[in-house]
Amino acid sequence: MKAIRLEFYKLRHKHLIVMMTLILLVEITWAFMATSMSISRNPEIARWETLILMLSTMNGLFLPILSAICVSRICDMEHKGNTWKLLLTISVKRWHLYAAKYMCACLVMLWMCILQVFSISGFGIIKGFEDPLPFLLLAQFLSGTVLANMVIIALQQWVSMAVKNQAFALTLGMIGGFIGLAADLFPFGIRRLFVWSYYSGLSPVRQNYVNEQMQFITQDISDLLPLMSLLIMAGVFIYLAGSIHISRQEV
Amino acid sequence: MLKRCISAEWLKLRHSRIWMILMILPIISVLIGSANFYMNQGVLANEWYSLWSQVGLFYGEFFFPILISISCAYMWRLEHLNKNWNMMMTAPVSATSIFLSKMLVVGIQLIFIQGLFFLLYLIGGKLLGLTSALPSELFEWFTQGLVASLTISALQLSFSMRFRSFAVPIGIGLCFTFLGLGMYVLDLGMFFPYSLLTMGMGVLSQSGFSSQSDYVLFLISNLLYIIVISLLAIHWMRKKDVVA
Repeated sequence: MKAIRLEFYKLRHKHLIVMMTLILLVEITWAFMATSMSISRNPEIARWETLILMLSTMNGLFLPILSAICVSRICDMEHKGNTWKLLLTISVKRWHLYAAKYMCACLVMLWMCILQVFSISGFGIIKGFEDPLPFLLLAQFLSGTVLANMVIIALQQWVSMAVKNQAFALTLGMIGGFIGLAADLFPFGIRRLFVWSYYSGLSPVRQNYVNEQMQFITQDISDLLPLMSLLIMAGVFIYLAGSIHISRQEV
Repeated sequence: MLKRCISAEWLKLRHSRIWMILMILPIISVLIGSANFYMNQGVLANEWYSLWSQVGLFYGEFFFPILISISCAYMWRLEHLNKNWNMMMTAPVSATSIFLSKMLVVGIQLIFIQGLFFLLYLIGGKLLGLTSALPSELFEWFTQGLVASLTISALQLSFSMRFRSFAVPIGIGLCFTFLGLGMYVLDLGMFFPYSLLTMGMGVLSQSGFSSQSDYVLFLISNLLYIIVISLLAIHWMRKKDVVA
């Protein structure tokens, strides 16, 4: 806990959370504007599912890049300040430091996901959606997004800490955003190989076209459990591989 | 003086492996776009134009601007490390030469990225067996895209110069990409650098500019942005005290 608190202490003048929130607000504004325009053209889709689907799709582009930026800032301050050696002189194990940075990034990204859920709720209430607030769908959306984030943060942290030059970590984030956005175009088997595809993959709402009419398919949590388990296993593997590699790396 | 600055910038890029970063996005864009084109040939019947819509959309709209941001942030990365700002500002070179040399080197990188992307598009089309003539607008997309990307690079270089963090200018670039898309949708694309790229590369509308005056306005808008942003950045370098 103390190590995590110290990570946040180091970030206090970096305005990381403010910057991330502002970038996320751009995504949310864009998603809500697009949804409003779709609803004005077709009032039948004024449903919670439309909103959740829109944000899940856009998360595939935004959140990999945001995760890359967040993790890069948390790790790069040690590279830039040459503080790795200083950190290692204190009586804290390396894997402990790695875990603290990981948790710090996860908490920042958790705030992003919670903000999205509140925004969806607020927008739906303002727009006067007929159905009541779908707590279960929102909880599923939140859990899927947080899980995908945690795995991507593990991957980004590995690269950000192993390679001093943050251009590589941010390029990986950009490639992730590209794959996240285009993932639905891939065949199912190939799609599942990319961790960035799980933002839309774990979305509780899917869309399907029948006779040129858009239909929403709500996925039950039990349908998503196998995918979630697969992603958790991938996440644990990436985290452990990163932690072991960085702990053994010479500073 | 400018020539020396350019060779210094070039020296700094040695062993940086930046070429790997620059190459990967065009390759992925063309691969995914071509695969999607191949799987949906029944719907995408307009040969080279359909292929362009597949390979160019995500590349030109979202990822090329972000790649420019990364490239520009990289150009200032060394300056923000090891108190190099102090060394650079005491070197017998003008602020104008420093900024312009960085912009020219970014420009060379952009020519490389664009060239590679267009080459891969042509190779992809040939491998997919497209037999019709190449789009007559292809050269325009290339040059107009290059001009607009120079405008974005001037803006991103200014941000990267101002912010010590590598990631912050890239985050700003991401926001501006979406703002640019919004401006394009609102028909205000001529007034925002990021929308100029969308228009120049014909990624959303392949019909090109509706009149000659629109084309001239596109060029003037780009030129104005490049001059004004560069002047402001150079003024900032001259007037503000650096933090090393």
